Amino acid sequence: MLRFLTERAIGMAVTLFLVSIMVFVIMELPPGDYADRYAFRKYSGTGLTITEADVAAIRAELGLDKAAILRYFDWIGGIILRGDFGQAYAFETSVNSIIGEKAWLTLGLLLVTLIITYVVSIPIGIFAAVRRGSAVDYGLTVFSYLGLALPNFLLALVLLYFANSWFGAAVGGLFSAEYADAPWSLAKFWDLVKHMWLPAFVLAWSAMAYQIQTVRATMSDEIGKLSVTAARARGVPEGRLLLKYPARLAINPIASTIGFDVNRIFSELPIVAAVLGLTELGDLLLKSFLDLDMNVAGAILLLLTVVIVVMNFLSDLLLAWLDPRIRLGG
Amino acid sequence: MVCAMRPTHTGKAGDAMMLRVENLSVSFRTDEGMITPVEGVQFGLDAGRTLGIVGESGSGKSVSTKALMRLLPNSARLSANTRMTFVDKRGETIEIEKLRPGSRALRRLRGGEIGMIFQEPMASFSPVYTIGNQIMETIRLHRGLKGAKARELAVETLSKVGISNPSARIDQYPHELSGGMRQRCMIALALSAEPRLLIADEPTTALDVTIQAQVLDLMHDLQRELGMAMIFITHDLGVIAQIAQDVAVMYLGTIVEQGPVRDVLQTPAHPYTRDLIAAIPRLDRLEHRLHTVPGEIPSPSARPTGCSFRTRCSDAIDGLCATKTPPVTDLGGGRMVRCHRHYPERTAT
Ligand SMILES: Nc1ncnc2c1ncn2[C@@H]1O[C@H](COP(=O)(O)OP(=O)(O)O)[C@@H](O)[C@H]1O
Ligand code: SF4
Ligand SMILES: [Mg+2]
Repeated sequence: MLRFLTERAIGMAVTLFLVSIMVFVIMELPPGDYADRYAFRKYSGTGLTITEADVAAIRAELGLDKAAILRYFDWIGGIILRGDFGQAYAFETSVNSIIGEKAWLTLGLLLVTLIITYVVSIPIGIFAAVRRGSAVDYGLTVFSYLGLALPNFLLALVLLYFANSWFGAAVGGLFSAEYADAPWSLAKFWDLVKHMWLPAFVLAWSAMAYQIQTVRATMSDEIGKLSVTAARARGVPEGRLLLKYPARLAINPIASTIGFDVNRIFSELPIVAAVLGLTELGDLLLKSFLDLDMNVAGAILLLLTVVIVVMNFLSDLLLAWLDPRIRLGG
Repeated sequence: MVCAMRPTHTGKAGDAMMLRVENLSVSFRTDEGMITPVEGVQFGLDAGRTLGIVGESGSGKSVSTKALMRLLPNSARLSANTRMTFVDKRGETIEIEKLRPGSRALRRLRGGEIGMIFQEPMASFSPVYTIGNQIMETIRLHRGLKGAKARELAVETLSKVGISNPSARIDQYPHELSGGMRQRCMIALALSAEPRLLIADEPTTALDVTIQAQVLDLMHDLQRELGMAMIFITHDLGVIAQIAQDVAVMYLGTIVEQGPVRDVLQTPAHPYTRDLIAAIPRLDRLEHRLHTVPGEIPSPSARPTGCSFRTRCSDAIDGLCATKTPPVTDLGGGRMVRCHRHYPERTAT
C-alpha cells in the first residue's frame, strides 16, 4: 500500500511539473509581452511617445527581462509558496482577485456535478442490470443512448426554456441579481443551490449516461460470477447479496474513471456556461485568451489541469481502498 | 420410465432416505430454442454416505446439483413431475422443488442443510472481502453466532481443514492464498454451517495434482469425522473409487448406470462406464497420452434419437438403439443400467 501510494504520488508530482511547464509555454506563445501592452495602455492617449527604453524599464521593473526559465520559477514559485498567480493585464488587478471566488464556485459546481452523476447513475445502472432484458432496462438503455447523443448545450437550452416557463424566474447564472455582489450568507448560499442544480444536471448529463452503461455492464458481469452463486449457495438473502457482492464490485470502474469524468465535465463547461450565462471559469478562460491576458488564462489552465490530475490521484486512492487486490498488490 | 430406485445398499430400517431425487428434468430457454440438458434423473442418498457423480464435461452434473439448491438461472425450468425431497436436521421433510424463491426455508436449506463447494476456489470467493468475512457470514446466517464468537468458530474450522496459523489467515484476502489453501477455506466455509449434505462439484479439478490428493484426503477424513453425506462430482472415475461408496454415471443428461462403486468398477454394465474405466489414468500407461472416451459428447440440442450414447457406442444394436430409448433395468444389488444390452434378459418374464 505504501509503495502504491508513493508511486502514485510521485507520478502525480511529475505530471503536475510537466503540466506547469506546458501551461507556461502556452502563456509565452502570444507575440509581445506584458511590458508592451502595459506601456501601450499607460501612455496611450497621453500624447507621450514611448521609447524602447521606457518599455525596457517597465520590463526590468516587472522582472520580464529575465530568462524564460527564471521567469518560470518566479511564476510557479509565487503560486506554490504564496498562492500568488501574478498580475492580470486587462483588469489592472491581481489574477487572484479575478479568479478567487470563481475558482471555488467552479470547484463547487464540479463536485455537485460529480455527485449528481454518481447518485443517479450507480443505482440506475445496478437496477437495470438486475432487471436485465425487462422493459425498464430497455427504457433506461434508450435514455442513456439519448444522453450520449444529445449535445449538452441543446439540453441546456431545452431545460432553460422549461425552467423559465415553469418556474417563471430566470434560471441563468449562478446567483440572483440581488445576491450577485452581496457578501456570503445563508440566503446567498441557498440562492446558489437553487441556481446550481440546473447547470450541474446539464453538465452531469453525458457523464451520467455513460456511467449508467458502465455500471450496468459491470453489474451484469458480476451478477454472473461464481462468487455470487457461492454466496447464494450459503443462504445470503438476495437483496443483501446483490449489494454486498456484485454491486460492490460494479462501482470499481466508476472510481477508476473519476478523472475521466472531470475532464469531460470541464471540456463541456465553456459552452454550457455560455448558454446558461454563468460567468464562471470556462467563460473567463475564453475571454482572457481573446484579450491575450495570459496570466489569467495560464492560472485557469493550471487550476483546471491540477484539478484533473489531483482527481485522478484521488480516484487511484479510492480504487485501492475499494479493491484489496490493488491495495495489497495481487 | 419411472423405475424402482430403492436404496442402493442396506440402509436403515424405515427406509427414510435423506435425499431423494425423482424425474429431475431441467430445460433452458436459449436463443436456439428449448434444450433439456438434464432428463429423468433419479437417485437417492442416505445420511452419512457419499455418492459420486461421474461423467464428461457437459453431461449435466452441475445443472443437476444446482437444481437441488435451486441455484439455476431464471431461464431454467424443472419438469412438472420433478420431485426432490430432503430430510433436514430436525427430521422434517422438505420438498425442495416447491420452495418459494427468497423464502426462509430455501435460505436455510442453502448452506445450512446443504453446503456446496465449486471447481474454482479463487472464483468462489469474492475478491474484495477477506476469507474470514465470508466464512463468518455463513456462521452468522446458520449458527446464529456474531462477533468474537463467530470469529472463534471460523478460526476453529480453518484449523480443522488444515490451515496453519488460522487466526492470521482469517484476515487475508483470497488472492493472498494459494489455490489449495483457498479450496480448504471453501471447505471450511461450507462446513462451518454444519450441513447434513455437502455437494462438491469437481472440487479438485482446478488444483495441482499433489494438492488434489491432499484435498481429497481431507474431504474423505472430514466426511467420516462429521458423519455428513456428500455428493462428489468429478469427470474422473479414478477419484470416485477413492472417495465414494455409490456412483452414478451420467451421460448427456441422464444417469446411464448406478450402483455401489466396487461393483460398478469391477463389472461395469454400460458401455460408457467401460469406456470411462479404460480412461482412468494408470501408472503402467502414464507414458501414453491420456486415454479418453473416443468421440465427442453431442450437444443437448442435438441429442441422438433412441439411446443418447449410440453415436459413440461400440456395442450398439442395429435397428434398436437408434430408434428406441433404452429403459432402466434393475440389475439387483442396488444396481441399475440404462442399456438395451441388459434389457431383454432382465425383464423377460
Ligand atoms: N444457463 C444455461 N443455459 C443454457 N444451457 C446451459 C446452462 N447451464 C448449463 N447449460 C447446458 O447444460 C449442459 C450441462 O451442463 P453442466 O451441468 O454444466 O455439465 P457438467 O456435467 O460438465 O457439469 C451443457 O451442455 C450446458 O451447455
Ligand atoms: S442402448 Fe445400445 S447404443 Fe446405448 S449403450 Fe446400450 S448398446 Fe450402446
Ligand atoms: Mg460442471
